[in-house]
Amino acid sequence: MNSFDIELVSVSKSFAGIPVVQDLNLQIPRGEFVSILGPSGCGKTTTLNMIAGFNTPSAGDVRVRGKSQNRIPPERRNLGLVFQNYALFPHMTVAENVGFGLRMRGTPKAEIGEAVDAALRSVRLDGFGSRYPKALSGGQQQRVALARAIAPRPSVLLLDEPLSNLDLKLREAMRVELKEIQEQLDMTFVYVTHDQEEAMAMSDRIVVMWQGAIAQQGEPGSIYRNPATRFVADFVGRSNILSVRRSIPGSEYFELCIDGTQIVLRSDCAGNSAVQSCCIRPESISLLNVSDAGTGPQNRLDGVVRRIVNLGAHVELLVEVANGLSLTVLVPSSRSSLVPELASTVTLGIDPQDVQVLSD
Amino acid sequence: MNRVLTCLFWLAIALVLTFITLPLAVVVAASLSPSSAVTFLPWEWTTVWYGDLLADRWLQPFLLSVKIATVVAGISGVLGVLAAYAVVYERIPGSTAIMAGLLSPLSVPQIVKGVAIVLFLSIIGLQSVLGTPALIAAHVVLALPFVTRMAATSLANFDGNLDRAAQSLGATKRQRLQHIVLPMIKPGVLSGVTFAFIISFNNIPLSVFLVRPGDTTLPIAVINYLEYSLDPVMAAVNVASMIFILAVIFLFEKIGGFSAQLHGGSK
Ligand SMILES: Nc1ncnc2c1ncn2[C@@H]1O[C@H](COP(=O)(O)OP(=O)(O)OP(=O)(O)O)[C@@H](O)[C@H]1O
Ligand SMILES: [Mg+2]
Repeated sequence: MNSFDIELVSVSKSFAGIPVVQDLNLQIPRGEFVSILGPSGCGKTTTLNMIAGFNTPSAGDVRVRGKSQNRIPPERRNLGLVFQNYALFPHMTVAENVGFGLRMRGTPKAEIGEAVDAALRSVRLDGFGSRYPKALSGGQQQRVALARAIAPRPSVLLLDEPLSNLDLKLREAMRVELKEIQEQLDMTFVYVTHDQEEAMAMSDRIVVMWQGAIAQQGEPGSIYRNPATRFVADFVGRSNILSVRRSIPGSEYFELCIDGTQIVLRSDCAGNSAVQSCCIRPESISLLNVSDAGTGPQNRLDGVVRRIVNLGAHVELLVEVANGLSLTVLVPSSRSSLVPELASTVTLGIDPQDVQVLSD
Repeated sequence: MNRVLTCLFWLAIALVLTFITLPLAVVVAASLSPSSAVTFLPWEWTTVWYGDLLADRWLQPFLLSVKIATVVAGISGVLGVLAAYAVVYERIPGSTAIMAGLLSPLSVPQIVKGVAIVLFLSIIGLQSVLGTPALIAAHVVLALPFVTRMAATSLANFDGNLDRAAQSLGATKRQRLQHIVLPMIKPGVLSGVTFAFIISFNNIPLSVFLVRPGDTTLPIAVINYLEYSLDPVMAAVNVASMIFILAVIFLFEKIGGFSAQLHGGSK
């Protein structure tokens, strides 16, 4: 016996010979909130459907608490499922929807009533039991769908982009609620999304998927700080990605010669001579005063401000540091006195630890 | 320009509606005619002819028609749902061919079908089923394509995610059919069943070959009567059966259509 609620062992799936998921290995411990994050069409839904049992893997094994599920139909896997389009039963009231799972199991009426009330309370919809789904807002419908999935107390809840039909404000509120519900019920959540902010906000762990395979997995913070590949750096958060012509190991730092320019950046990430690119987060670049002494390990780059975009909380600058090479820099609006003029010359400071070496 | 178009539009609608309802209005007027000739004098009318409807001559055929139409609606409802289920939901092999086969009776003229059925029955030595059993069988053949088509359309529009949601909640296939699929396609099936009832109740071209003398359906009784006389009783029979059909449509609307409007659709 092991402590993994869900394990995917070398799982692959092809549709009509076209591989969609390739040799996926994933272990999800009990009680963890795991997000599968990836661009549209990368195989997230297919993966979730294989866990739920609606797709059969072409190869490999899906295990729930150590037990292979390949021959178990979806209705006997005891996993909760929340759909993007809610999929509420329109001919049943909210209470009937939420009680459906228990009713199908033949649970006594009184118990169903209690479970329905508890589930509705946990999604803050008490008193809505006698309404029909049509008479609810999108956010309320989504919460009914959630209540319906958790009412039978499955050990694992699978969610496929459950918030993507909601507006931004509601989405942000629901993120917090989802996380709270997950912690309260101590359930394992597998959450599929293409929205990296959503994944960052809720997950204990993020699995970044690309073209049917796992590109990187880890805690949200470490994925953000240390993206392993060009794809992850680009997809998770915003990045300046620079091509590296040559990397020279120094005594303390690696020196990265940026392709097509005379620029050499110091990085304290362990790279090797095969490094082809590096990334710098826009918010880790600082604007230096000309008077700052040019000492220390910090990289200094001079450039010309080519574009200024006000994003509300931040101001985004596009600074041309060399012919054909511009860096995006994010400056908090609160320090708007520092925001330079268009076409003015600025000096950028980049810590060596913020220059992240990418493996491809 | 736009105004002209709008006027033409409403004029066209008015013409069509007049064209459809005027003959009906004439029949209603004729049934109220005070003289035994079919005339209409708006200042003099009587309902005396409606009294004749309760005579056996009309009541028996009416009851037979209702009986046959009810059985036909039931049988074709069940068969249509089963066929649509197999073809659309289970996607059994050859479903396109099966569907085409089920809809094929639509392409044969009813008279031809009637003759064919009579010949077929006499070839296999089963003339004895002429009358009610043959009528029911023939009407089912006639009505089945409509019911199947409507049930199939409802099933095709059925949101598969509902089925999967139910499945993830532990519902077995039987439970899903009972609690999710059937309730969701009920409005479509009920419309199909309503059609089946009306098709059977009004049918002449098939029935005319299959009724037994002295034991006819209402439309055949009307035809027989018309051969000898055209009088206000005739008109009264037609008005009564028209009202009956409207009542049937209304009833089915109440059962299925109403709830469909309230919470139907899968969005
Ligand atoms: N039943 C199917 N038959 C053939 N191809 C399929 C089928 N289902 C999915 N695919 C293909 O598999 C790939 C992955 O699909 P999937 O639905 O898993 O993507 P996704 O990551 O969930 O994307 P999205 O974010 O857009 O929902 C897509 O290219 C899709 O076209
Ligand atoms: Mg998807």
